[in-house]
Amino acid sequence: MRALGRPAGDDDRPLIERVRKGDQDAARTLYERYFDRIYNYVYARLGRAEDAEDLAIDTMTRSLTRLDQFQDQGVAFSSWVYKIAHNATIDHYRRHGKVTLVSLEQATLPQSADPSELAVEQLSNEDLRIALRALTDEQQQVLILRFFQDLTAAQVAGIMGKSVGAVQALQHRALGSLERALQGRAVN
Amino acid sequence: MTSEGLRLERLAERLRAVDPVAPSPGAKIRGWNLVLAAVEQSSRVRSREHPIRRLMVAAVAAAVLLVAGAMAASADSLPDSALYPLKGVIESVRGALAFTPSDQLTHHLDLARTRLTEAEAMFAGHRIDLADRALRAMDDQLNDAAVLIQTEKRTDPSVGAAMENRLIQAIATHDNQLAGLQGQVSNPTAVSAITAARNRAAQALKLAARPAPSNGNDNPTASPSGSGKGQGNGTSASPHPTSKR
Repeated sequence: MRALGRPAGDDDRPLIERVRKGDQDAARTLYERYFDRIYNYVYARLGRAEDAEDLAIDTMTRSLTRLDQFQDQGVAFSSWVYKIAHNATIDHYRRHGKVTLVSLEQATLPQSADPSELAVEQLSNEDLRIALRALTDEQQQVLILRFFQDLTAAQVAGIMGKSVGAVQALQHRALGSLERALQGRAVN
Repeated sequence: MTSEGLRLERLAERLRAVDPVAPSPGAKIRGWNLVLAAVEQSSRVRSREHPIRRLMVAAVAAAVLLVAGAMAASADSLPDSALYPLKGVIESVRGALAFTPSDQLTHHLDLARTRLTEAEAMFAGHRIDLADRALRAMDDQLNDAAVLIQTEKRTDPSVGAAMENRLIQAIATHDNQLAGLQGQVSNPTAVSAITAARNRAAQALKLAARPAPSNGNDNPTASPSGSGKGQGNGTSASPHPTSKR
């Protein structure tokens, strides 16, 4: 079940112009378009529904009330919203510290016939989310945006302020780190 | 693809298959209410800023129009008008922009003609005092023109002579007008004021014809209201609106 709505990066400019003129229907459309995606992004980072709700609301409020600051210079509105969400997440970490709700050591991971090989198909969604949160900030960001949010490498590059090549390299390293984290737990 | 590549690709596929976590309906509604309130407040702030900006633009435009209108109206104002002081300011600015002796002479002669016109209007309105002031101001301008010519004759005699001719013609014209005016008025004070004005104009003419003194700063015949520096650009004590440069 993948139902995050229409992909980010579509042309939001007509709606943005209407919101700037005070059109609440346009604001509602943008809210509906992005709220679930931002909630998912933040939830994947934090792992707490309450915090994810608060940060998603805060992100949408900032996005739709600071449109005058949004300079449409080739940067998609979606990229701008994700950047705000990312900054909100970093602020949250600063204020509350990085909390791991369930440690990877406590998680029960499935093993394949070959103990060194990870049975990825049998991993639960929650196991993957937990393991993901053990990665570095950038590694988490790239994997969540690429695979949970279905964004292209180019879109992720725009959000993270990196080149497409750098994003692809980071993605490769992040997957390797995730695999090692999961394997290490499974072997133990 | 290497075995590592295949493993990572499988892991990536598994990540793609992770179902998104949906926010609770309550959270979404609460979120929209908060966002809507913030958007409305933001719109109100923007709409408050716009009238203030429009008001400021309108105020500036009104001020510009007012000043421009007052300046235009003051150009034809008479000594008994509230706008008359503004006319002096404009004349001073014009005078400051006259750089060559020829331009300065033109400026003095223009002002002398203007003062004469004002004097005629004041006589017609039985404002003898104001008419007398205007005539004195006219003669101040003629006197300053004469000092200017005197100085120029020393610098460039041919140019000075041409300027002197212009002064002679201007004074002759003024004298004709004053003679006509003298015939029209019956008030002895008015007649006396006109006579005095004609005499002062004749003295200015004589001054222009005289060779310039060797010391340019001690000309005893510069207008009493002038600076006495030979250029007629000092601050005037006369009541006419233009303070001479």
